[in-house]
Amino acid sequence: MASLTMYPDDEHLTGSARFAFNLYMITAVLLVVVFMLVGLTMRMSQTGWVGVPPKFFYQLLSMHGAGMVGTMVLATTAVMWFFLRKYVRLHLWAFVTNYVMFMAGALCIIFAVFIGGYAALWTFLYPLPTHGMGMWSPHASALFMLGYLLIGVGELIFYLDAAAGIIKVHGNLGRALGLQWLFGGDINPDHPKTVVASTSMIIANSLGILAGAVVLVMSLINIFFPQVAIDALFAKTLIYWFGHMYINAAIYMGVIAIYELLSRYTGKPYPLSRVFLWGWAATTVLVIIVFPHHLLMDYAEPHWFLTLGQFASWGSGFPVVVVTVYGALTNLWRSNIRWTMPPRLMILALFGWVAGGFGAILDGTIRINLVMHNTQWVPGHFHFYLLLGVLAMALSLMYHEVGRRTNGPPNSGSDRVGFPVYVIGGLIFVFAFLAGGHASVPRRMAEHLQAWTFTDKLGSIGAMLVVLAMLYFAIRITAGLLRSSRSGGADVGAADAAG
Amino acid sequence: MTVSSRWQSWRGPALWCVLVLPPVRGALESSIMLHMLVQIPLLAVAGWWLSPLLPKHLTDTLPAWNRSGISGIVLVSVVALFWMLPRSMDAALEVPWVEVAKFASVPLLMGLPLAISWPSAGFVVRGVYLVEVVATAFRMGWLYLISPQRLCSNYLLGDQQGLGKAMLAIGAAICLLLAWKLMWGHIDADGVRRR
Repeated sequence: MASLTMYPDDEHLTGSARFAFNLYMITAVLLVVVFMLVGLTMRMSQTGWVGVPPKFFYQLLSMHGAGMVGTMVLATTAVMWFFLRKYVRLHLWAFVTNYVMFMAGALCIIFAVFIGGYAALWTFLYPLPTHGMGMWSPHASALFMLGYLLIGVGELIFYLDAAAGIIKVHGNLGRALGLQWLFGGDINPDHPKTVVASTSMIIANSLGILAGAVVLVMSLINIFFPQVAIDALFAKTLIYWFGHMYINAAIYMGVIAIYELLSRYTGKPYPLSRVFLWGWAATTVLVIIVFPHHLLMDYAEPHWFLTLGQFASWGSGFPVVVVTVYGALTNLWRSNIRWTMPPRLMILALFGWVAGGFGAILDGTIRINLVMHNTQWVPGHFHFYLLLGVLAMALSLMYHEVGRRTNGPPNSGSDRVGFPVYVIGGLIFVFAFLAGGHASVPRRMAEHLQAWTFTDKLGSIGAMLVVLAMLYFAIRITAGLLRSSRSGGADVGAADAAG
Repeated sequence: MTVSSRWQSWRGPALWCVLVLPPVRGALESSIMLHMLVQIPLLAVAGWWLSPLLPKHLTDTLPAWNRSGISGIVLVSVVALFWMLPRSMDAALEVPWVEVAKFASVPLLMGLPLAISWPSAGFVVRGVYLVEVVATAFRMGWLYLISPQRLCSNYLLGDQQGLGKAMLAIGAAICLLLAWKLMWGHIDADGVRRR
């Protein structure tokens, strides 16, 4: 069971571990700000407020997509590492290797986009990367894909180290998931939720990375030997298995912060239950097979495959969302919580995850997808759960750690202003996308018709507010994490968690 | 030395001698599937079984150059990469010295280094290697299956496509086996021998 002590000793970071954690989190918040500015530039270009040439727009779109997905996973990997290391032995070299490979991969992607002119988007759908029409060379595409390979291998090394640690303690991954308690038996109340969630993602995302390793190398072979033509639909299938699983892992790794931290702020235990284990077991399976919902418009796919995507979409996030939200709300009920930044961000994250998730479930329904898939509904729903869900989860841990190094949970006047600016800006931003989708405004278009620009302008204003708030968060978190720990402050109890 | 340990020492050379016999060699090189999926793996097994014959001073010296088995596994991967190329298999059938190189390099530079490196490789090194084996099986299977022309001039297109399907099946089988073992099996993640 997660500790109720606000800053337990076994989470205290020292030396290289502290350096590595700071590196992850500071890199993540800075990259988020940079990629948000890229996103804002694109949104403003659609309104006509700034002039961005279409070719450069698609380069920015490729950078924004790949960069944000990678950064979300980078931050939530640090969340998983931070808590999992309390329960199993993790090697710092694996955590650092992942960071180094991520940065090497990121450099490849940045060079491919801004030097090589790559603009075939983060999904590198075959055969577009090899058809740059003079705007980019196949070698730029190859560099982009090499970047993905490096990032994927880094994450795999981290997962393998985590799997080794988990297996040493629990025997195998099935026992770590708690499968032995699904149908009966006394559940060990000390079995950590963090281990359950981490195991689930090790299984699911490793399979996704395997799919990515296959399709990336096949795409590279095609770049250098164009006579080897690969099946475009099968390549797309593998790409979405990899891409969907990779970004979904960010949500499920990020939610560990809520499992670990919420009970400390409410002061009430958040025990493990059989329903919780069933929720994670079901999600582990469903999240692996849900990716066909990206292919609902590909009528050449077998019908059973598309139907699987629809039904898995309805079910994949549902079990975990229900057990997490219900558990969190009951934990919150009559808890006398003090609303400092970490719990605010956690509750926002739950809202963003659920509300964005419903948009995703709607889009995962075949009849609705036929109308909505190529509209701004899609960026609307995924920005909803990434911006207001996943990012908020990661920020809650960052703020919590800032609290350890200052005077308890942060809740300064600037924080109290920054938070609503982030929430209101975020809601305006995502609802502008969703309204654009409702009005059938297409997504991924550099040039917009005059009739579409109302929601673009609204979205740009929302995005400006989000960027302002995030810029403040980034400075606050960077300064906070770089401060040395205050002495004797390791045990501020939940009751002392005042602002 | 007991009969059992004597057999363990000599089973590698014995298997190699059987594989080099002209009728066996001819039979195993008659189809691309037997060549790639039976002869080359058996040569690697013969090399693996050579490890008890290594002189003591070598077994004492090598670990310094093969920390966590990484150098050995990289060597195995590079040599395997070469013998996965259709052109190499073609050359082995047509050029005698390439055939000799195959019979020497697969046991000595694949099987033997793997036998030396695997016990000292940790969970992460083994995991990365096995994931790469599965991914390579899928990639090669896919390539052999979709290639519009014969990649080896000595083998027919249908045989080549059969190899593609077999490699996809092997990749899937290894993947399922690993998943089953990790999910429900007994794994001694601490049992890695440190040298």
